[in-house]
Amino acid sequence: MPGRIDGQDIAIWRGASGQVHAWGDRCPHRGMRLSHGFVRGETLACIYHGWQYDADGGCDHIPAHPNLVPPKTICATTYSCAESDDVIWVALRPTDEKCPSLAGLRGVRSLTIDAAAEQVASHFGQAVNAILRLGTADNITLALQPMDADHCTAHALSDARADRTDVSRWLEHQRRVIEGQPA
Amino acid sequence: MTPEVANHWYPVGMCSGIHGAQATQLLGQSITLGKTGGQFWVRDAGGKALPVIERFGHLWTSPGQPNRDLFTIPEAETPGRRLVDCGSVRVKCSPLRAVENFLDIAHFPFVHTDILGAEPHTEVERYDVDIREEVDEVWATKVKFFQPQAAKSAEGGITTEYMYRVPAPTCAVLYKTCPPRPGEWDVITLFVQPLTEELCEVWPWMALYDDDTPMADLVSFQQMIFMQDRSILENQIPRKLPLDPGMEVPTQADLTSIAYRRWLKRTGYTYGAQVVAA
Amino acid sequence: MILYDYVLSASCYKVRLMAALLGVRLEVKAVNFHPARDHKSAEMLRLNPQGTLPVLVDGDLVLTQSANMLRHLARQNAPQWLGEASGQIDPWLDFAGELNASLGMARLHDVLGFDADIVQVRRDGIRQLRKMEAHLAEQRFAGMGFLAGVAPTIADIACFPNTALAPDGGVSLDPYPSIRLWMRAIRSVPGFVEMPGIHRLHELAPAPERSR
Repeated sequence: MPGRIDGQDIAIWRGASGQVHAWGDRCPHRGMRLSHGFVRGETLACIYHGWQYDADGGCDHIPAHPNLVPPKTICATTYSCAESDDVIWVALRPTDEKCPSLAGLRGVRSLTIDAAAEQVASHFGQAVNAILRLGTADNITLALQPMDADHCTAHALSDARADRTDVSRWLEHQRRVIEGQPA
Repeated sequence: MTPEVANHWYPVGMCSGIHGAQATQLLGQSITLGKTGGQFWVRDAGGKALPVIERFGHLWTSPGQPNRDLFTIPEAETPGRRLVDCGSVRVKCSPLRAVENFLDIAHFPFVHTDILGAEPHTEVERYDVDIREEVDEVWATKVKFFQPQAAKSAEGGITTEYMYRVPAPTCAVLYKTCPPRPGEWDVITLFVQPLTEELCEVWPWMALYDDDTPMADLVSFQQMIFMQDRSILENQIPRKLPLDPGMEVPTQADLTSIAYRRWLKRTGYTYGAQVVAA
Repeated sequence: MILYDYVLSASCYKVRLMAALLGVRLEVKAVNFHPARDHKSAEMLRLNPQGTLPVLVDGDLVLTQSANMLRHLARQNAPQWLGEASGQIDPWLDFAGELNASLGMARLHDVLGFDADIVQVRRDGIRQLRKMEAHLAEQRFAGMGFLAGVAPTIADIACFPNTALAPDGGVSLDPYPSIRLWMRAIRSVPGFVEMPGIHRLHELAPAPERSR
């Protein structure tokens, strides 16, 4: 699936074993977006020519030349990626930091908002941070993905007991307010 | 606009589709075209008349001073062929990316699945490519590829042979073996009108030996194939075609594209190309 | 049954897709909508005075609205596709019409150069996609993967084409994870067929043996 972080387009995919990966969204061959590709076992294949990349990002199969061992130099751009408490985390630069803990919460849904992450944080009276704990009765918590100057995605979690439909509708309302549309 | 770009002929409409005056774009400039008293005309934004040629069912013009005639396709003029006007499809991509995709066969199994190609028949055997200096064209010959559904009546797949020709920077001609007439070639072309460097109007056209298939089916087949390509073309990064090596990784299957890019670079054709700053 | 069809039409695709999922064989007659405008030919106007495509002919019955074609195909072959209550289905058939007016028009503008207020139709389309995204999220919370329940219905088939083809009209589907899951579910239904602009899900087929 496609994603965008600080203006960088990312392809996020899950191998058959469940392992998640985050790569630059571009096949080195012809620049096609890898997020349009397809997963086979532990490889991601580009939809354009079927070039397959293994979990390390190295190209390991070129269908047009099935007997060729692709040179090691052909590889996708890879980023650190981890899955924790219902959220997939990506780091564009190497980091020793662990993903924030969101233990006890359950994912509700991801909402893309036509506003910068800073604007969303300030709407909730907070400084911009990867995690916004909104202090509601349901413990609604947003993992904030800054996309570009005008967009971000709020990955919303809440108490496992919360009614997710209620949370979802509350979020929709907040988004209308943030985007300045008539509520 | 450099003379290397301006001094070419470009398609701007399908003759059968031009009645009154209509507006379009060419190389980022507004133009108007139309038909008055049986004569086609094209004018630039300032009202100046531009040269016109009617050929292959399309109207061609040039904002510059072409130093030669528009190319010809002698094979398309042999009697008994049906000439198929396919209309146009607009694509948000570089005109050069549209041509390069047309020259590529390795994507058939993945983009035109079960029509022009199918796994596991993905291998592209070596073929011949040359830049023919005497005519200033790029040619690829002896291109062979497994085609699962060569014709509606054909059971199972066959190996189809292709020849590709790039007679102008934004035009390509495909010659394809013709099942009902061994020894003859069907002609399928892609004429690209560059609206801007990242937006084009693509005019496919065909000259086929096929007396049986209804015209609507021939058009529908061509539009189906091209629309399958369109979702690829609108998702390549960068939108412009990189002419310098390094940005993208070619293999032996991409020899036609390598020659095409080299030829564009050598002739100074940079409209829709990404050229690394010197 | 004869379907007068245009290969790039989202509405025609609804009918081809429904028939394929039901295993119904259609006799497809291609109509040269673009560039020849044959849907306005005298022959086609005799069949359908509104001059629109698709047209479905089943014996004496001539249908010109794709929603009615979906109902007809489902009623005759697999009534479970009509859903449990028409009250759950009909609003989505209307919604599919709205999608056709917004995303469908944006696509005709971007692909075939139709006149349209492109900013407005895209904006309408995005508002509708957000509505569908919210609904599909709520369906998922209730354990349902489709617009009107746990199983696909004609509502899903009616809404699928213009949604899946939104990028053709310059409207990205990146912001809608629930819609993408739903599209994947539809594309995984046995018998699914693509149309140009919706590529094959190659992961559903077994990977070929590698020679190396």
